Amino acid sequence: MNLERLVHIDRRIIYLLIALGTTIPLLLPIGLPVSSTPPVERLFDKIEGLGQQEVVLVSFDYGPTTAPENNPMAQATLRHCFTRGVKVVVVALFPIGGVTMAGEILEGVAGEYPDLEYGVDYAFLGYKDGAQAAMKQMMGNAFAEVFPQDFFGTDTNQLPLMRRVVNHEQIALVVSFSTNIIGEWWANLVNAQYGTPVAVGTTAVSAPKYYAFLDSGQMLGLLGGLKGASEYEQLLIDAHPELMTIYQQAGIYTAMKGMDAQTVDHAIIMLFIIFGNTVYFLVQRRDARRKQHQA
Amino acid sequence: MTELIGIWIGAFLTLCIFSFLYKDNPFFRFAESLFAGISLGYYIGIVAVNTLVPNLFRPLFGDFVGHAHLLIPLLLGLNLYTRFIPKIAWMARISLAVYIAYYVGINMVQKLQGEVVPQVGSTILNPIGGRMTPVDNLILIVGVLSVLIYFYFSIEHKKAVGVISRVGIWFLMLGFGAAFGYTVMARVSLLIGRMNYLFIDLLHTTADLL
Repeated sequence: MNLERLVHIDRRIIYLLIALGTTIPLLLPIGLPVSSTPPVERLFDKIEGLGQQEVVLVSFDYGPTTAPENNPMAQATLRHCFTRGVKVVVVALFPIGGVTMAGEILEGVAGEYPDLEYGVDYAFLGYKDGAQAAMKQMMGNAFAEVFPQDFFGTDTNQLPLMRRVVNHEQIALVVSFSTNIIGEWWANLVNAQYGTPVAVGTTAVSAPKYYAFLDSGQMLGLLGGLKGASEYEQLLIDAHPELMTIYQQAGIYTAMKGMDAQTVDHAIIMLFIIFGNTVYFLVQRRDARRKQHQA
Repeated sequence: MTELIGIWIGAFLTLCIFSFLYKDNPFFRFAESLFAGISLGYYIGIVAVNTLVPNLFRPLFGDFVGHAHLLIPLLLGLNLYTRFIPKIAWMARISLAVYIAYYVGINMVQKLQGEVVPQVGSTILNPIGGRMTPVDNLILIVGVLSVLIYFYFSIEHKKAVGVISRVGIWFLMLGFGAAFGYTVMARVSLLIGRMNYLFIDLLHTTADLL
């Protein structure tokens, strides 16, 4: 066995296998089962238990760079709120593309519910710079001070929903879809200072540090990466089977479909890790035997 | 038609970025520079339209008397640009000092009230009771203490302290391993998003529009 060739395997072979492992499950979905975990279930149960006049503040704190992870969780959560009849106020605090993501996702999901009325059932306030300052001001004082107009230029106080949503006292839950640190600020600033329940849907890179906030009770729930998004989608479909038609549409990207590719890719990576370690120990053993023979 | 052109430009730029997997090349450099430039331009536009206009210029020029106090942040903001004039560049430090002091003030309370106190509080727990099992509680206590002792360098890591530090190192390795696994999942997710764009969104949109 030529161990030298195995040690110096061309990395382009790995690229090719990963590319195939990603593409084939997207084109030919496998439909692997998705099981939910308590951090996701807690957020789901919270929204499922909200009354129709209660308000959820949804903050889009991510941009197009993390859209594959954050978009499915944002869509699923908004669909859940709209299906339950919960009122939604949408803001964006991420500078590079947050408001664009918010507008696209909100327009797409709201379009699936023709009975919804803008300004009554939901409001889109747009983007504001200086995330911590904006959070402190809108939750502590008034939304209208930070967002005097909504995204479309309408005076905020003219929106029926925003006439009764003044600050944190009227917000039942904050859900932040974030990349990096803004989700953390919702937990350690808004929840700590105003007691508003906070849940975060974040990228998998940031998820490990959020578990500390989850376990200390500062966060109600956590959607970690594409896995968290797929769990929420599955819970949503289990509780509201009428939404299955949306998730079964051909050509639509969902977290559940993405997890098929994710699983195949992880299997390929694990095989290469086992392969690499096996070759490493074989080389070590061969070199040890050679030294013994020479001695 | 513009949507079709836009989506094909996106596909071309995606392939330009992927070309780096072979080797560095002008297409990759072009896409990378374009991304950096567009991000900055977009950010400037977004801040101007969504923050400066509705929160500063419109109230200031709409009702000057009622919003005269907004002159202070306007002047502080303009003052930052004095750093480009060497003779009065020192004035920019005033605006910077106000900006930094504000965020230090916010973060000081935020870190203490939102991180240090709650995290310490949730670590001081009844090993037998609470939401988690006794085994989980024990792992948490042992893990936190051993890692803290590992980072205490004022005494030599020998004998008992050395053994506990070693345990702390193992906890750190497990933590970093879990974080790395999550990072791999995140990167694969981004690849899935790009592949979905190239093989599904691009083809579907092209077929629909043609």
